[in-house]
Amino acid sequence: MRIVFGGAFNGKREYVKKRFAGQEVEWLESELPKGSVVFSTIVVTGIEHRIKTQLGNGISEFQIREEIQQMLAKYKDYKLIWVLTDMNRGIVPIDPLERELRDVLGRIYQFLFSEATEITRIWYGIPQNLKGGDGR
Amino acid sequence: MANGQLIFVSGGVRSGKSAWAERRIQGSAGTRKVYLASGQAHDPEMVQRIHRHQEDRKEQDWITIEQPLHLEKALPFIEDGDAVLWDCATTWLANELYEGWEKGASCAGQPGCMEQKWANLKNTIHSLQCRTKLLVIVSNEVLDDFVRDDTYQRWLGRIHIWIAAQADEAYEMENGMAQKRK
Repeated sequence: MRIVFGGAFNGKREYVKKRFAGQEVEWLESELPKGSVVFSTIVVTGIEHRIKTQLGNGISEFQIREEIQQMLAKYKDYKLIWVLTDMNRGIVPIDPLERELRDVLGRIYQFLFSEATEITRIWYGIPQNLKGGDGR
Repeated sequence: MANGQLIFVSGGVRSGKSAWAERRIQGSAGTRKVYLASGQAHDPEMVQRIHRHQEDRKEQDWITIEQPLHLEKALPFIEDGDAVLWDCATTWLANELYEGWEKGASCAGQPGCMEQKWANLKNTIHSLQCRTKLLVIVSNEVLDDFVRDDTYQRWLGRIHIWIAAQADEAYEMENGMAQKRK
């Protein structure tokens, strides 16, 4: 499992698209894979939007994490790439839901980072290798 | 004349990025040290702050050009072989994007307006690079947070990606420590 991480509008999706150019990829925006996936590579982006909706609907952090863990187990034979947006370096939000989202995201990102074999941080289009991988 | 060196440096508030950029200019082989300032004073504290910075630089033989908007207008004042520090892209973008805001017609609300300004900026940066020995562009880290102003932050990301791609060197400033990213 791989992670591409960085701030908003830093070129994370572009980086992934370029790296997997010419390959068939299951690209998911704000959702997790479910059912059978045809391609061997799955890209999961925008989970912050999904998690915000889930929290807003009263789904607990425990349930959200369970769902992710089950999904990791189910798709362990796929090449899985997470595109994660760093949202946790700003001012404490006024909106309670956003505060909760920040906390939950921080903990889920930590979990995903610990599971990942390769982590690339993108800073304005420039990749930096944080864990494993070849640093490309 | 061959293109001069372009350095991009970005960091948080009070991370020491401007002081670092000034040192790079001072250590360069540029004939003059030029400070291209995008900051605008909106209150007395800002007036004082800008004045203090100007006085500091004057003692060290800097030439200050204040150009909050339309950076291309500073070009005639730049000479071949200058070392130029532009401080900063975030302020410039805020000035340009919200130009006309007080009249109820900001650039951000007009189709094609920012695209035109962006095209002008790219040309200006290329022109500066053609003339200068060294051009250092300073900016801020404001994208690691919830998106509060989609238009502004989207443009800033686009501008930073472009500058970083053009740059010979790019640094991320962490509390006075310049981390080389390129």
